Amino acid sequence: MASQPEFSAQTLSVLAALCDEPSRWQHGYALAKQTGLKSGTLYPILIRLADRRLVEACWEEEPAPGRPRRHLYRLTAAGLARTTGALASAARPAPEPSGVRASARRAGARPAAGGRSAVAGVIP
Amino acid sequence: MNKLNRAVAAAGRGAAWLLPPGRRDWVAAVWAEAHEVPPGLARLTWRAGGVWVLAREALMPRRLGRVVVFAAAAAAAAWAAWPDSSVLHADADQFGVIATVLLLAGMPLLTRRFFGPVSDSRSARFLRVGGYAAILALIPARAVVGPYPLNVPQRGAELRVFIADGNSTHGMPGTSAGGPPWPGEIFFLILTACYVVLILWLTSRRASAAPSTLAVGAGVGIVSGLVMYSVAPLGLTQYASNPWLPGSRVDPLVALAWILLLGGPAAAGALAAGWYCRRPGRSAELAQARIGQGLVAGVLANLVSALFVTALGTGLIALMIKVAWLRPLVYRDPHASQAAAYGHVLHASEHAGTYVLMCVTFPVIGLLMSAVGLACLMPVPRQSGPQPGDGGGGPPGPEPPHGPSGGRRPEAESDADRLLVPA
Repeated sequence: MASQPEFSAQTLSVLAALCDEPSRWQHGYALAKQTGLKSGTLYPILIRLADRRLVEACWEEEPAPGRPRRHLYRLTAAGLARTTGALASAARPAPEPSGVRASARRAGARPAAGGRSAVAGVIP
Repeated sequence: MNKLNRAVAAAGRGAAWLLPPGRRDWVAAVWAEAHEVPPGLARLTWRAGGVWVLAREALMPRRLGRVVVFAAAAAAAAWAAWPDSSVLHADADQFGVIATVLLLAGMPLLTRRFFGPVSDSRSARFLRVGGYAAILALIPARAVVGPYPLNVPQRGAELRVFIADGNSTHGMPGTSAGGPPWPGEIFFLILTACYVVLILWLTSRRASAAPSTLAVGAGVGIVSGLVMYSVAPLGLTQYASNPWLPGSRVDPLVALAWILLLGGPAAAGALAAGWYCRRPGRSAELAQARIGQGLVAGVLANLVSALFVTALGTGLIALMIKVAWLRPLVYRDPHASQAAAYGHVLHASEHAGTYVLMCVTFPVIGLLMSAVGLACLMPVPRQSGPQPGDGGGGPPGPEPPHGPSGGRRPEAESDADRLLVPA
Protein backbone atom coordinates (compact mmCIF):
# COMPACT_ATOMS: atom_id res chain seq x y z
CA MET A 1 0.00 0.00 0.00
CA ALA A 2 1.41 3.36 -0.95
CA SER A 3 2.27 5.57 2.01
CA GLN A 4 0.26 8.73 2.49
CA PRO A 5 2.11 11.93 1.56
CA GLU A 6 3.05 14.12 4.48
CA PHE A 7 2.06 17.43 2.95
CA SER A 8 -0.38 18.61 0.32
CA ALA A 9 0.97 20.18 -2.84
CA GLN A 10 0.10 23.69 -1.67
CA THR A 11 1.74 23.13 1.70
CA LEU A 12 4.81 21.78 0.00
CA SER A 13 5.00 24.84 -2.23
CA VAL A 14 4.90 27.11 0.83
CA LEU A 15 7.59 25.05 2.56
CA ALA A 16 9.71 25.14 -0.60
CA ALA A 17 9.38 28.92 -0.78
CA LEU A 18 10.46 29.24 2.85
CA CYS A 19 13.27 26.75 2.26
CA ASP A 20 14.89 28.89 -0.46
CA GLU A 21 16.53 31.03 2.20
CA PRO A 22 15.77 29.28 5.47
CA SER A 23 17.35 31.88 7.72
CA ARG A 24 15.57 34.85 6.17
CA TRP A 25 12.24 36.08 7.55
CA GLN A 26 9.65 36.34 4.78
CA HIS A 27 6.30 38.07 4.73
CA GLY A 28 2.96 36.78 3.56
CA TYR A 29 2.60 38.73 0.34
CA ALA A 30 6.04 37.64 -0.87
CA LEU A 31 5.14 34.03 -0.16
CA ALA A 32 1.82 34.47 -1.94
CA LYS A 33 3.57 35.83 -5.03
CA GLN A 34 6.17 33.10 -4.93
CA THR A 35 3.70 30.24 -4.59
CA GLY A 36 0.78 31.69 -6.53
CA LEU A 37 -1.53 31.03 -3.59
CA LYS A 38 -4.23 33.45 -2.49
CA SER A 39 -4.36 34.78 1.05
CA GLY A 40 -7.34 32.58 1.91
CA THR A 41 -5.25 29.50 1.09
CA LEU A 42 -1.81 30.66 2.18
CA TYR A 43 -2.61 31.77 5.71
CA PRO A 44 -4.47 28.63 6.85
CA ILE A 45 -1.43 26.66 5.69
CA LEU A 46 0.92 28.96 7.61
CA ILE A 47 -1.31 28.67 10.69
CA ARG A 48 -1.21 24.85 10.62
CA LEU A 49 2.54 24.84 10.00
CA ALA A 50 3.06 27.21 12.94
CA ASP A 51 0.81 25.02 15.11
CA ARG A 52 3.08 22.08 14.30
CA ARG A 53 6.13 24.21 15.06
CA LEU A 54 7.50 23.76 11.57
CA VAL A 55 7.28 27.50 10.96
CA GLU A 56 7.95 30.32 13.40
CA ALA A 57 6.30 33.70 13.14
CA CYS A 58 7.00 37.11 14.58
CA TRP A 59 6.05 40.74 14.08
CA GLU A 60 8.39 43.12 12.31
CA GLU A 61 10.24 45.22 14.88
CA GLU A 62 10.88 48.36 12.85
CA PRO A 63 8.23 48.88 10.20
CA ALA A 64 8.80 51.26 7.31
CA PRO A 65 7.13 54.62 7.86
CA GLY A 66 3.56 54.84 6.63
CA ARG A 67 2.71 51.16 6.83
CA PRO A 68 1.76 48.82 9.65
CA ARG A 69 4.08 46.18 11.09
CA ARG A 70 4.19 42.98 9.07
CA HIS A 71 4.03 39.42 10.22
CA LEU A 72 7.14 37.46 9.26
CA TYR A 73 7.75 33.76 8.82
CA ARG A 74 10.62 31.32 8.51
CA LEU A 75 11.23 27.63 8.94
CA THR A 76 12.25 26.22 12.30
CA ALA A 77 15.04 23.66 12.49
CA ALA A 78 12.45 20.89 12.61
CA GLY A 79 10.59 22.49 9.72
CA LEU A 80 13.75 22.67 7.64
CA ALA A 81 14.52 19.00 8.25
CA ARG A 82 10.97 17.92 7.41
CA THR A 83 10.86 20.12 4.32
CA THR A 84 14.13 18.77 3.01
CA GLY A 85 12.88 15.24 3.47
CA ALA A 86 9.50 15.97 1.92
CA LEU A 87 11.05 17.71 -1.09
CA ALA A 88 13.46 14.84 -1.58
CA SER A 89 10.70 12.25 -1.51
CA ALA A 90 8.61 14.40 -3.84
CA ALA A 91 11.51 14.55 -6.26
CA ARG A 92 11.84 10.75 -6.33
CA PRO A 93 9.91 9.11 -9.18
CA ALA A 94 6.93 7.30 -7.67
CA PRO A 95 5.85 3.90 -8.99
CA GLU A 96 2.17 4.70 -8.41
CA PRO A 97 0.40 7.95 -9.23
CA SER A 98 -0.16 8.69 -5.58
CA GLY A 99 1.29 10.80 -2.81
CA VAL A 100 2.71 14.22 -3.25
CA ARG A 101 3.40 13.66 -6.91
CA ALA A 102 -0.25 12.78 -7.52
CA SER A 103 -1.35 15.76 -5.48
CA ALA A 104 1.01 17.89 -7.44
CA ARG A 105 -0.45 16.56 -10.66
CA ARG A 106 -3.93 17.32 -9.47
CA ALA A 107 -2.90 20.79 -8.42
CA GLY A 108 -1.01 21.26 -11.64
CA ALA A 109 -4.10 20.37 -13.64
CA ARG A 110 -5.81 23.33 -12.02
CA PRO A 111 -3.36 26.20 -12.11
CA ALA A 112 -3.37 28.70 -9.29
CA ALA A 113 -3.74 32.44 -9.71
CA GLY A 114 -1.75 33.81 -12.57
CA GLY A 115 -1.83 30.52 -14.38
CA ARG A 116 1.08 29.22 -12.32
CA SER A 117 1.00 25.79 -10.77
CA ALA A 118 0.90 25.82 -6.99
CA VAL A 119 3.91 23.55 -6.89
CA ALA A 120 5.83 24.89 -9.85
CA GLY A 121 9.48 24.74 -9.05
CA VAL A 122 8.98 22.24 -6.29
CA ILE A 123 8.26 19.05 -8.17
CA PRO A 124 10.75 18.37 -10.93
CA MET B 1 -13.57 50.11 -4.75
CA ASN B 2 -11.72 52.04 -2.06
CA LYS B 3 -14.88 52.31 0.03
CA LEU B 4 -15.50 48.60 -0.39
CA ASN B 5 -11.89 47.89 0.59
CA ARG B 6 -12.19 50.01 3.71
CA ALA B 7 -15.53 48.40 4.60
CA VAL B 8 -14.06 44.90 4.29
CA ALA B 9 -11.05 45.93 6.38
CA ALA B 10 -13.25 47.45 9.09
CA ALA B 11 -15.54 44.40 9.15
CA GLY B 12 -12.55 42.09 9.42
CA ARG B 13 -10.95 44.04 12.26
CA GLY B 14 -14.28 44.17 14.11
CA ALA B 15 -14.93 40.47 13.69
CA ALA B 16 -11.44 39.45 14.85
CA TRP B 17 -12.75 39.24 18.44
CA LEU B 18 -14.58 36.07 17.38
CA LEU B 19 -11.23 34.31 17.17
CA PRO B 20 -9.45 32.71 20.08
CA PRO B 21 -6.57 34.92 21.28
CA GLY B 22 -3.92 32.75 19.62
CA ARG B 23 -5.48 33.25 16.21
CA ARG B 24 -6.04 37.02 16.21
CA ASP B 25 -2.46 37.75 15.17
CA TRP B 26 -2.98 35.83 11.97
CA VAL B 27 -5.94 37.88 10.84
CA ALA B 28 -4.07 41.05 11.83
CA ALA B 29 -1.20 39.77 9.66
CA VAL B 30 -3.47 39.50 6.60
CA TRP B 31 -4.77 43.04 7.16
CA ALA B 32 -1.25 44.42 7.66
CA GLU B 33 -0.04 42.70 4.50
CA ALA B 34 -2.89 44.21 2.49
CA HIS B 35 -0.95 47.49 2.39
CA GLU B 36 1.67 45.79 0.22
CA VAL B 37 -0.88 44.52 -2.29
CA PRO B 38 -1.60 46.84 -5.23
CA PRO B 39 -4.78 48.82 -4.57
CA GLY B 40 -8.00 47.90 -6.32
CA LEU B 41 -9.29 44.44 -7.05
CA ALA B 42 -6.09 42.68 -5.99
CA ARG B 43 -6.21 44.27 -2.54
CA LEU B 44 -9.91 43.52 -2.21
CA THR B 45 -9.25 39.89 -3.14
CA TRP B 46 -6.46 39.75 -0.56
CA ARG B 47 -8.77 41.09 2.14
CA ALA B 48 -11.56 38.74 1.07
CA GLY B 49 -9.03 35.96 1.68
CA GLY B 50 -8.52 37.40 5.16
CA VAL B 51 -12.26 37.25 5.78
CA TRP B 52 -12.16 33.64 4.66
CA VAL B 53 -9.33 32.89 7.09
CA LEU B 54 -11.34 34.54 9.84
CA ALA B 55 -14.47 32.58 8.99
CA ARG B 56 -12.51 29.37 8.73
CA GLU B 57 -10.81 29.81 12.07
CA ALA B 58 -13.64 31.39 14.05
CA LEU B 59 -16.78 30.00 12.58
CA MET B 60 -15.84 26.44 11.93
CA PRO B 61 -18.98 24.55 10.90
CA ARG B 62 -19.26 22.64 14.19
CA ARG B 63 -18.84 25.73 16.27
CA LEU B 64 -21.24 27.72 14.14
CA GLY B 65 -23.76 24.86 14.37
CA ARG B 66 -23.53 24.85 18.16
CA VAL B 67 -24.03 28.61 18.30
CA VAL B 68 -27.06 28.43 15.99
CA VAL B 69 -28.65 25.55 17.92
CA PHE B 70 -28.13 27.31 21.26
CA ALA B 71 -29.47 30.61 19.90
CA ALA B 72 -32.56 28.88 18.51
CA ALA B 73 -33.20 26.96 21.74
CA ALA B 74 -32.67 30.06 23.89
CA ALA B 75 -34.94 32.13 21.67
CA ALA B 76 -37.65 29.45 21.82
CA ALA B 77 -37.36 29.19 25.63
CA ALA B 78 -37.49 32.97 26.03
CA TRP B 79 -40.44 33.26 23.67
CA ALA B 80 -42.36 30.54 25.54
CA ALA B 81 -41.55 32.09 28.92
CA TRP B 82 -42.01 35.73 28.00
CA PRO B 83 -44.69 37.16 30.31
CA ASP B 84 -47.45 39.38 29.01
CA SER B 85 -46.86 42.96 30.10
CA SER B 86 -50.35 42.97 31.66
CA VAL B 87 -49.22 40.32 34.17
CA LEU B 88 -48.38 41.64 37.61
CA HIS B 89 -44.60 41.91 38.16
CA ALA B 90 -43.95 41.19 34.49
CA ASP B 91 -40.78 43.26 34.69
CA ALA B 92 -39.20 40.87 37.21
CA ASP B 93 -40.18 37.85 35.11
CA GLN B 94 -38.83 39.47 31.96
CA PHE B 95 -35.61 40.27 33.78
CA GLY B 96 -35.36 36.64 34.91
CA VAL B 97 -35.76 35.31 31.37
CA ILE B 98 -33.25 37.71 29.82
CA ALA B 99 -30.73 37.32 32.62
CA THR B 100 -30.88 33.51 32.47
CA VAL B 101 -30.32 33.44 28.72
CA LEU B 102 -27.45 35.94 29.00
CA LEU B 103 -25.98 33.89 31.83
CA LEU B 104 -26.04 30.72 29.74
CA ALA B 105 -24.54 32.49 26.73
CA GLY B 106 -21.96 34.56 28.57
CA MET B 107 -20.69 32.26 31.29
CA PRO B 108 -18.69 29.96 28.96
CA LEU B 109 -16.94 33.02 27.53
CA LEU B 110 -16.26 34.48 30.96
CA THR B 111 -15.01 31.26 32.52
CA ARG B 112 -13.00 30.00 29.55
CA ARG B 113 -10.02 32.05 30.69
CA PHE B 114 -10.00 30.24 34.05
CA PHE B 115 -11.40 26.81 33.17
CA GLY B 116 -10.03 26.37 29.65
CA PRO B 117 -12.08 24.83 26.84
CA VAL B 118 -14.43 21.90 27.20
CA SER B 119 -12.75 18.59 27.93
CA ASP B 120 -12.16 16.57 24.81
CA SER B 121 -14.45 13.66 25.64
CA ARG B 122 -17.97 12.67 24.67
CA SER B 123 -19.12 12.46 28.26
CA ALA B 124 -18.02 16.05 28.91
CA ARG B 125 -19.88 17.32 25.87
CA PHE B 126 -22.94 15.24 26.70
CA LEU B 127 -22.98 16.68 30.22
CA ARG B 128 -22.58 20.23 29.04
CA VAL B 129 -25.31 19.92 26.41
CA GLY B 130 -27.61 18.04 28.79
CA GLY B 131 -27.12 20.57 31.57
CA TYR B 132 -27.80 23.47 29.26
CA ALA B 133 -30.87 21.75 27.80
CA ALA B 134 -32.30 21.15 31.28
CA ILE B 135 -31.73 24.77 32.34
CA LEU B 136 -33.23 26.06 29.09
CA ALA B 137 -36.27 23.81 29.53
CA LEU B 138 -36.69 25.15 33.05
CA ILE B 139 -37.07 28.75 31.84
CA PRO B 140 -40.58 28.37 30.32
CA ALA B 141 -41.61 25.71 32.86
CA ARG B 142 -40.81 28.01 35.76
CA ALA B 143 -42.53 30.93 34.04
CA VAL B 144 -45.75 28.88 33.94
CA VAL B 145 -45.53 27.23 37.36
CA GLY B 146 -44.22 30.17 39.42
CA PRO B 147 -47.12 32.61 39.12
CA TYR B 148 -49.86 29.95 39.11
CA PRO B 149 -50.45 29.67 42.89
CA LEU B 150 -50.50 33.48 43.10
CA ASN B 151 -53.31 34.03 40.60
CA VAL B 152 -56.67 34.31 42.37
CA PRO B 153 -59.28 32.46 40.23
CA GLN B 154 -62.31 34.31 39.00
CA ARG B 155 -64.78 31.43 38.97
CA GLY B 156 -66.75 30.35 42.00
CA ALA B 157 -65.73 26.70 42.51
CA GLU B 158 -62.07 27.33 41.81
CA LEU B 159 -62.13 30.43 43.96
CA ARG B 160 -63.56 28.35 46.85
CA VAL B 161 -60.74 25.80 46.41
CA PHE B 162 -58.22 28.62 46.35
CA ILE B 163 -59.60 30.08 49.58
CA ALA B 164 -59.95 26.66 51.21
CA ASP B 165 -56.31 26.03 50.42
CA GLY B 166 -55.38 28.73 52.87
CA ASN B 167 -55.22 31.66 50.51
CA SER B 168 -58.27 33.51 51.82
CA THR B 169 -56.41 36.64 52.76
CA HIS B 170 -54.74 37.13 49.39
CA GLY B 171 -55.90 39.50 46.67
CA MET B 172 -59.05 39.96 44.68
CA PRO B 173 -60.50 37.43 42.17
CA GLY B 174 -58.85 37.81 38.80
CA THR B 175 -55.68 39.39 40.19
CA SER B 176 -52.33 38.10 41.38
CA ALA B 177 -51.95 37.55 45.09
CA GLY B 178 -48.17 37.47 45.03
CA GLY B 179 -45.77 39.99 46.44
CA PRO B 180 -42.91 41.39 44.39
CA PRO B 181 -40.99 38.35 43.07
CA TRP B 182 -37.63 40.13 42.76
CA PRO B 183 -35.94 38.26 45.63
CA GLY B 184 -37.15 34.99 44.16
CA GLU B 185 -35.87 35.89 40.71
CA ILE B 186 -32.47 36.88 42.07
CA PHE B 187 -32.24 33.69 44.13
CA PHE B 188 -33.04 31.58 41.07
CA LEU B 189 -30.50 33.50 39.06
CA ILE B 190 -27.77 32.87 41.65
CA LEU B 191 -28.71 29.19 41.84
CA THR B 192 -28.66 28.91 38.04
CA ALA B 193 -25.28 30.66 37.92
CA CYS B 194 -23.89 28.20 40.47
CA TYR B 195 -25.12 25.25 38.41
CA VAL B 196 -23.78 26.66 35.15
CA VAL B 197 -20.36 27.38 36.68
CA LEU B 198 -20.25 23.92 38.26
CA ILE B 199 -21.17 22.21 34.99
CA LEU B 200 -18.64 24.29 33.03
CA TRP B 201 -15.91 23.56 35.58
CA LEU B 202 -16.52 19.82 35.85
CA THR B 203 -16.53 19.45 32.08
CA SER B 204 -13.53 21.71 31.46
CA ARG B 205 -10.02 20.59 30.63
CA ARG B 206 -8.53 22.27 33.66
CA ALA B 207 -10.72 20.25 36.03
CA SER B 208 -9.01 17.15 34.60
CA ALA B 209 -12.04 14.96 35.26
CA ALA B 210 -11.45 11.71 33.41
CA PRO B 211 -14.10 10.66 30.87
CA SER B 212 -14.84 7.59 32.98
CA THR B 213 -15.43 9.82 36.03
CA LEU B 214 -17.89 12.00 34.13
CA ALA B 215 -19.63 8.94 32.69
CA VAL B 216 -19.98 7.29 36.11
CA GLY B 217 -21.25 10.50 37.74
CA ALA B 218 -23.74 11.20 34.96
CA GLY B 219 -24.92 7.59 34.80
CA VAL B 220 -25.56 7.32 38.54
CA GLY B 221 -27.20 10.76 38.44
CA ILE B 222 -29.61 9.81 35.67
CA VAL B 223 -30.65 6.56 37.39
CA SER B 224 -31.04 8.39 40.68
CA GLY B 225 -32.96 11.20 38.96
CA LEU B 226 -35.39 8.74 37.36
CA VAL B 227 -36.16 7.17 40.75
CA MET B 228 -36.50 10.58 42.41
CA TYR B 229 -38.82 11.69 39.65
CA SER B 230 -40.98 8.64 40.17
CA VAL B 231 -41.16 9.51 43.86
CA ALA B 232 -41.78 13.21 43.41
CA PRO B 233 -43.22 13.83 39.95
CA LEU B 234 -45.19 16.79 41.28
CA GLY B 235 -42.98 18.07 44.05
CA LEU B 236 -43.85 16.27 47.26
CA THR B 237 -47.60 16.43 46.74
CA GLN B 238 -49.45 13.15 47.36
CA TYR B 239 -51.98 13.55 44.58
CA ALA B 240 -50.33 11.77 41.68
CA SER B 241 -52.05 8.41 41.46
CA ASN B 242 -51.23 7.10 38.01
CA PRO B 243 -49.16 3.91 38.19
CA TRP B 244 -46.71 5.45 35.78
CA LEU B 245 -46.30 8.32 38.19
CA PRO B 246 -46.65 6.59 41.52
CA GLY B 247 -46.06 9.61 43.70
CA SER B 248 -44.59 9.32 47.16
CA ARG B 249 -47.03 6.60 48.19
CA VAL B 250 -44.93 3.75 46.85
CA ASP B 251 -42.75 2.98 49.82
CA PRO B 252 -40.10 0.70 48.21
CA LEU B 253 -39.48 3.42 45.65
CA VAL B 254 -39.07 5.99 48.42
CA ALA B 255 -36.59 3.71 50.17
CA LEU B 256 -34.71 3.25 46.90
CA ALA B 257 -34.65 7.02 46.40
CA TRP B 258 -33.08 7.52 49.82
CA ILE B 259 -30.54 4.78 49.14
CA LEU B 260 -29.61 6.39 45.84
CA LEU B 261 -29.47 9.88 47.31
CA LEU B 262 -26.99 8.83 49.98
CA GLY B 263 -25.38 5.73 48.49
CA GLY B 264 -25.31 6.82 44.84
CA PRO B 265 -22.60 9.46 45.24
CA ALA B 266 -20.60 7.21 47.54
CA ALA B 267 -20.71 4.40 44.99
CA ALA B 268 -20.00 6.77 42.11
CA GLY B 269 -17.03 8.21 43.97
CA ALA B 270 -15.57 4.80 44.74
CA LEU B 271 -16.16 3.56 41.17
CA ALA B 272 -14.63 6.64 39.59
CA ALA B 273 -11.61 6.48 41.88
CA GLY B 274 -11.19 2.79 41.10
CA TRP B 275 -11.53 3.22 37.35
CA TYR B 276 -9.23 6.20 37.25
CA CYS B 277 -6.36 3.83 37.61
CA ARG B 278 -7.09 0.16 37.95
CA ARG B 279 -3.75 -0.62 39.48
CA PRO B 280 -3.43 0.21 43.16
CA GLY B 281 -1.99 3.65 43.69
CA ARG B 282 1.59 3.73 44.84
CA SER B 283 2.21 7.40 45.10
CA ALA B 284 0.58 10.13 47.12
CA GLU B 285 -0.07 12.14 43.94
CA LEU B 286 -1.95 9.30 42.30
CA ALA B 287 -3.98 8.72 45.45
CA GLN B 288 -4.85 12.41 45.58
CA ALA B 289 -5.87 12.37 41.94
CA ARG B 290 -8.12 9.38 42.59
CA ILE B 291 -9.74 11.14 45.54
CA GLY B 292 -10.34 14.17 43.33
CA GLN B 293 -11.97 12.01 40.67
CA GLY B 294 -14.15 10.36 43.31
CA LEU B 295 -15.36 13.67 44.71
CA VAL B 296 -16.11 14.98 41.21
CA ALA B 297 -18.16 11.84 40.44
CA GLY B 298 -20.09 12.15 43.71
CA VAL B 299 -20.97 15.81 43.24
CA LEU B 300 -21.84 15.17 39.62
CA ALA B 301 -24.14 12.26 40.46
CA ASN B 302 -26.35 14.34 42.73
CA LEU B 303 -26.10 17.46 40.58
CA VAL B 304 -27.34 15.55 37.54
CA SER B 305 -30.02 13.89 39.64
CA ALA B 306 -31.30 17.23 41.01
CA LEU B 307 -31.28 18.90 37.61
CA PHE B 308 -32.96 15.92 35.96
CA VAL B 309 -35.79 15.65 38.46
CA THR B 310 -36.30 19.42 38.61
CA ALA B 311 -36.55 19.80 34.84
CA LEU B 312 -38.89 16.83 34.45
CA GLY B 313 -41.05 17.63 37.49
CA THR B 314 -41.44 21.34 36.82
CA GLY B 315 -42.04 20.58 33.16
CA LEU B 316 -44.84 18.13 34.01
CA ILE B 317 -46.53 20.60 36.33
CA ALA B 318 -46.29 23.31 33.67
CA LEU B 319 -47.81 20.94 31.13
CA MET B 320 -50.66 20.11 33.51
CA ILE B 321 -51.42 23.80 33.90
CA LYS B 322 -51.38 24.41 30.17
CA VAL B 323 -52.78 21.12 28.83
CA ALA B 324 -56.08 20.23 30.48
CA TRP B 325 -56.35 16.68 29.02
CA LEU B 326 -53.12 15.71 30.75
CA ARG B 327 -54.60 16.06 34.24
CA PRO B 328 -56.81 12.94 34.18
CA LEU B 329 -53.81 10.94 32.90
CA VAL B 330 -51.75 12.01 35.90
CA TYR B 331 -54.51 11.63 38.49
CA ARG B 332 -56.25 8.62 36.92
CA ASP B 333 -59.63 10.14 37.54
CA PRO B 334 -61.43 11.02 34.30
CA HIS B 335 -64.53 12.07 36.21
CA ALA B 336 -62.81 14.56 38.50
CA SER B 337 -64.60 17.86 38.64
CA GLN B 338 -63.07 21.03 37.30
CA ALA B 339 -62.58 22.29 40.84
CA ALA B 340 -60.86 19.05 41.95
CA ALA B 341 -58.51 19.21 38.96
CA TYR B 342 -57.75 22.83 39.76
CA GLY B 343 -57.01 21.85 43.37
CA HIS B 344 -54.55 19.17 42.22
CA VAL B 345 -52.73 21.54 39.91
CA LEU B 346 -52.69 24.26 42.56
CA HIS B 347 -51.14 21.83 45.04
CA ALA B 348 -48.60 20.63 42.52
CA SER B 349 -47.49 24.14 41.61
CA GLU B 350 -47.23 25.06 45.29
CA HIS B 351 -45.04 22.01 45.91
CA ALA B 352 -42.72 22.77 43.02
CA GLY B 353 -40.56 24.58 45.57
CA THR B 354 -39.39 21.12 46.68
CA TYR B 355 -37.23 21.01 43.58
CA VAL B 356 -35.41 24.17 44.61
CA LEU B 357 -34.58 22.50 47.89
CA MET B 358 -33.28 19.47 45.98
CA CYS B 359 -31.14 21.67 43.73
CA VAL B 360 -29.57 23.38 46.73
CA THR B 361 -28.95 20.34 48.93
CA PHE B 362 -28.25 17.45 46.54
CA PRO B 363 -24.79 18.51 45.32
CA VAL B 364 -23.70 19.17 48.91
CA ILE B 365 -24.95 15.74 49.95
CA GLY B 366 -23.14 14.30 46.92
CA LEU B 367 -19.86 15.87 48.02
CA LEU B 368 -20.19 14.64 51.59
CA MET B 369 -21.29 11.13 50.70
CA SER B 370 -18.60 10.65 48.07
CA ALA B 371 -16.04 11.73 50.68
CA VAL B 372 -17.50 9.16 53.06
CA GLY B 373 -17.45 6.50 50.34
CA LEU B 374 -13.84 7.25 49.48
CA ALA B 375 -12.81 7.24 53.11
CA CYS B 376 -14.38 3.81 53.59
CA LEU B 377 -13.25 2.15 50.37
CA MET B 378 -9.96 3.74 49.41
CA PRO B 379 -6.74 2.44 50.91
CA VAL B 380 -4.73 4.91 52.94
CA PRO B 381 -2.41 6.77 50.54
CA ARG B 382 1.09 5.42 50.75
CA GLN B 383 4.24 7.36 50.18
CA SER B 384 5.98 7.07 46.84
CA GLY B 385 8.67 4.50 46.34
CA PRO B 386 8.59 0.74 46.07
CA GLN B 387 6.41 -1.00 48.59
CA PRO B 388 6.64 -4.54 49.85
CA GLY B 389 4.54 -6.83 47.74
CA ASP B 390 4.45 -4.56 44.73
CA GLY B 391 6.48 -6.92 42.66
CA GLY B 392 9.73 -5.07 42.93
CA GLY B 393 8.80 -1.78 41.41
CA GLY B 394 8.22 -0.78 37.84
CA PRO B 395 6.37 2.26 36.69
CA PRO B 396 2.93 3.04 38.06
CA GLY B 397 -0.09 2.12 36.00
CA PRO B 398 -0.84 4.09 32.88
CA GLU B 399 -2.52 7.45 33.45
CA PRO B 400 -5.92 7.51 31.87
CA PRO B 401 -6.40 10.00 29.09
CA HIS B 402 -7.11 13.42 30.47
CA GLY B 403 -5.79 16.90 30.22
CA PRO B 404 -5.37 18.87 27.01
CA SER B 405 -5.28 15.92 24.67
CA GLY B 406 -8.13 14.18 26.44
CA GLY B 407 -7.21 10.84 24.97
CA ARG B 408 -7.48 11.88 21.38
CA ARG B 409 -4.75 11.80 18.84
CA PRO B 410 -2.10 14.42 19.35
CA GLU B 411 -2.84 17.77 17.72
CA ALA B 412 0.09 17.33 15.37
CA GLU B 413 -1.46 14.24 13.85
CA SER B 414 -4.80 15.86 13.18
CA ASP B 415 -2.99 18.83 11.72
CA ALA B 416 -1.12 16.53 9.44
CA ASP B 417 -4.46 15.43 8.05
CA ARG B 418 -5.60 18.99 7.63
CA LEU B 419 -2.44 19.86 5.78
CA LEU B 420 -3.21 17.18 3.27
CA VAL B 421 -6.55 18.67 2.39
CA PRO B 422 -6.18 21.20 -0.38
CA ALA B 423 -7.40 24.55 0.93
